[in-house]
Amino acid sequence: MNVLQVSRLTKSYGTTPVLQGVSLSLAPGERAALMGPSGSGKSTLLNCVGGIDRPDDGEIEIDGEKLSQFDEEGLCRLRRRKVSTVFQFFHLLPTLTASENIEFPLQLTGMAEKDRLSRVAELIEEVGLVHRAGALPDELSGGEMQRVAIARALSIRPRLILADEPTGNLDSATGEAILDLLQRVSESHEIAMLIVTHSPDVTRICDQTFKMRDGLIASGENDDE
Amino acid sequence: MTSEPRTGRLIWSRMIWRYWLKEAKLTAMLVGILALGIAVFLSVRLANKAAVTGFGLFTESIVGQSDFILRSPAGKLDERILLEIRKATGSAPLGIFPVLEVTGAIADDPEPGLLRLVGVDLVGLQNAAQYLEGESAGSGGNGLNGESTNQLLGSSRAVFVGQGFVGKTGVAAGETVSVTVSDRVRELVIEAVLPDSPNVAAVPANLVLMDLPGLQALSGEAEKISRVELRIPPGADAAANRESGFALLTAFAEANDLILETPEEQKSSVTQMSAAFRLNLTILSGLALLVGVYLIMQAMEASVVKRRAEIAVMRSLGVTPAEIKRAWILEALLLGFAGSVLGIVLGRILAMGMVGAIAGTVNTLYYETTTTAVTLGGWEVLFCLVFGTVASVLAGWIPARDAAATPPAQAMRHGARSGGLKVLRFWPVGIVLFIAGIAAAALPPWERASGSVVSVGGYLSSILLVLSSSVLIGLLFRPVSRLLGRVGKRSAPFRYAASQLRKPGGRHRLTAAGLAAAIGMSAAMAILVASFETTLTSWIQQLLKADLYVSAPGISSVTNENTISSSTWKAIDSIDGVAGMDRLRRYPVSIDGTRAFLGGADYNQDSERHLQLIWLDPPEDRGPDALEKISGGVISGWISEPFQRIFGVGKGDLFTVPTPQGAKEIRCEGVYAEYGGETGTVMVSRKFTSEWFSDDRITQMSVYVSEGIDPEVVLSEIESQFPTLVARTNARLREESLRIFHQTFAVTYALEAIAVLIAVAGLGLALAGLLLERRRELITLKSLGATRREIAAAAMWEGVGLSIVGLSGGILLSFALGWVLIHVINPQSFGWTLTYQIPWGAFAFLIGVTILCAAVVASAVGYRNGEVRSDRIVGR
Repeated sequence: MNVLQVSRLTKSYGTTPVLQGVSLSLAPGERAALMGPSGSGKSTLLNCVGGIDRPDDGEIEIDGEKLSQFDEEGLCRLRRRKVSTVFQFFHLLPTLTASENIEFPLQLTGMAEKDRLSRVAELIEEVGLVHRAGALPDELSGGEMQRVAIARALSIRPRLILADEPTGNLDSATGEAILDLLQRVSESHEIAMLIVTHSPDVTRICDQTFKMRDGLIASGENDDE
Repeated sequence: MTSEPRTGRLIWSRMIWRYWLKEAKLTAMLVGILALGIAVFLSVRLANKAAVTGFGLFTESIVGQSDFILRSPAGKLDERILLEIRKATGSAPLGIFPVLEVTGAIADDPEPGLLRLVGVDLVGLQNAAQYLEGESAGSGGNGLNGESTNQLLGSSRAVFVGQGFVGKTGVAAGETVSVTVSDRVRELVIEAVLPDSPNVAAVPANLVLMDLPGLQALSGEAEKISRVELRIPPGADAAANRESGFALLTAFAEANDLILETPEEQKSSVTQMSAAFRLNLTILSGLALLVGVYLIMQAMEASVVKRRAEIAVMRSLGVTPAEIKRAWILEALLLGFAGSVLGIVLGRILAMGMVGAIAGTVNTLYYETTTTAVTLGGWEVLFCLVFGTVASVLAGWIPARDAAATPPAQAMRHGARSGGLKVLRFWPVGIVLFIAGIAAAALPPWERASGSVVSVGGYLSSILLVLSSSVLIGLLFRPVSRLLGRVGKRSAPFRYAASQLRKPGGRHRLTAAGLAAAIGMSAAMAILVASFETTLTSWIQQLLKADLYVSAPGISSVTNENTISSSTWKAIDSIDGVAGMDRLRRYPVSIDGTRAFLGGADYNQDSERHLQLIWLDPPEDRGPDALEKISGGVISGWISEPFQRIFGVGKGDLFTVPTPQGAKEIRCEGVYAEYGGETGTVMVSRKFTSEWFSDDRITQMSVYVSEGIDPEVVLSEIESQFPTLVARTNARLREESLRIFHQTFAVTYALEAIAVLIAVAGLGLALAGLLLERRRELITLKSLGATRREIAAAAMWEGVGLSIVGLSGGILLSFALGWVLIHVINPQSFGWTLTYQIPWGAFAFLIGVTILCAAVVASAVGYRNGEVRSDRIVGR
């Protein structure tokens, strides 16, 4: 069963069509790059998949659950169980330490403290930041912040990670390292990833590349083919 | 060619004005809060003014203002003095108008207020038209024309009253009203109702006007007058005549041991007595204004944060920091002006409600006043406009500076944390301010020329302590954050809220400082009131040992002169079951121009059951006969604590008091506590006062009932035999005393509540600013799966945390401020020694209400801001 199934999605803002019947799917552990010029509908598609915006028509299924059946509160709860987002500007909570940032989504799910702490220790080790666990975001470098953001995204064991220009604010070497990390965690945890990017380098870790133009997927490439 | 519009105007019209329209509710709230601060301040000022203006000689509104007043320093004057004045002044153009004033009460009124019966020489008035000519309040001004006054001449029943009297009692012209004068009920006929005239002060509602001989007959004060009012005829020579008249009268007054003063001097010296009380109210109302101004700062900061991206764009387009700053200061100025105008209107309305309460307190504690209409003067309007606008501009200064410092473009992407005063981060500054505050408390008070005392050190100390708390409060954030973090370990909103307080920003500090100042000052006032109440209750419990208390009506008013005749008190003494009584007579006297009471006491001749005063400096002999001692012409006396403070007399000192039989020398044998008023009292044996004043009447008595007799039975007997007297059991008198006490502080309670409410509103505004600033974080929370309710919960816990910090700081501050109020300001201003008492119950209530309000407001703000628009979630 696909983790993500998008079928004939349409969305307009006023009279301006933004998505005009987009369909795509991602299997567990599959990674796809979503590329296209500004205004092509990438962000709107990501918003709809994340359950933050609602399409006018069409359907989105995440791990077999149709988004249309949920209200706002239900969508929030779905996100905290199955979908994580990694942002270009990291968006760590500035008053929480690295480990607290990672722990935070687990607290939202109501996980017991003992389990939370063991999960945080596991993740912080996985992203190689054990020595920076107590640091506040403004004490971390850009790469470290993105590692914390990835660890946070992984904390809830999501089925799907949505990444919005995850290397867009990093130098090329750090960007490469972050891509390697994303690939590794995706493979090891079987997490599907939809990555919005302008950078062709990102496609190196992706199984598919969707190119969007004027609210449509103009072409879909399977990198394995 | 068109001229280029000025950038400032462009910014204002495009950004600020449009923002106001877009955020109309917020703008209205801001203007409303400032208006409330101004309104509270103004209303207290107006009500205070009305209470002072309401003090009058009661003849002003009928016969106009006199030039001079002659009165005795103790007791009434003999009518023969009029001839002597005429002899002494010869042919000098001087109108001489004798006035007799006595107090009474409406007989069948269950809660009789004090009635003032004024007797003027109506024949003399009619024959002295040249002295009244040109006066706005002349004989025609209030209807005192020949025909109507003829009905009053010589009558001990016919009276005139004002419109207010009719409104209060419902008695119309031609009807009769029962009035108690000197414990006798008299039927008075209302001959006419004096019409209110637009150019003349309204006739007070408790005034009854009679012909002088009529009142003398009615009150048993034959050939007695209270004062002589003297008037110079108007005209070209008026100034010269006044000067020569003053010289003649001064010589006459000195030769006869009389007091000569102008009406203004008398008014000033009397109303000065309530200066400290009024100053306290003004300071409290200033607190509401201060908190309102602080809110302007909060709200303007929020508006800067909200528009930071716009400001950054403008900066990148070439608008200079100075132009940005000017635009924001202009915004503050306009908001301040609008708030002030609204505040003036609101204040005028509030003052009408407040004037009654303040006048009631002034009546009880200081002097007789009436609830006159509230008048709004040009100066008050100007003051409020200037103060409100300037304060608003000052409050807008920091946000304006902050706006101007926004870097071009950069802030569009990253936003910026900002706000608050940098000085709040340096806790050593707080320590220095605290030490300076404690040191300032040791400064001596400033004695003004008028004789009143201003506790400069006390007020300076209070200001420094408030400032120090604003800085030191930063130290409380970490422990409160830890506490919240520990309590809500399992909850994500809790954890997030606690983390916000771990490293507080400038706005957090400013908010907590504002809340702490409001809570601190309100709680300190609560400490003062509780200390007062505890001291008063203990004093009443120790003092009130008799079974019954009997007085003439009006005893709760400081100016009461109603008395119980000797035949009445003797009759009560002979009622079955009465074992004995303490009797007291109180005479108002002037010592060195300052009003005091001379008390004449004779105590129950039972060494166990007689009035036991509470001693601050006890006499050697406290027995019932202790005051009857006389050695070498020097009489033994006890003085009250206010007397000791006002006249600087202590145990063992000799001093003189005026009496109708000349000055008498008294040795102070002891100092007793007195919390019933601020007027000093010297107590001697009634044996002497009866002789000096040729008067055996008493003001009140404490009755001891024989063993085995129910005091209620004796009470019923007294009430049935003497219905005009006010008789109470011990328990009822205690209740009544505490009721008056709470009534006195009613305005204080209201002002405290307003200050705390405004402070909590400030907390809400501050949180709104903080959440706007943290928009990006809210987006993250949302993307992590936090619901709107969880975001609201996080905001609520942050608000609760902030309020705990503010409350902790405020309560700690109140302990210090309470100490200054009780041990510095109060003894210097009022002369009362109070027991420091912390009202834990009231504190718990204050803490509970504040936290609850903060939780509700913060939660609402959080919920409103928790709605993050989808198109901002990703990719922005």
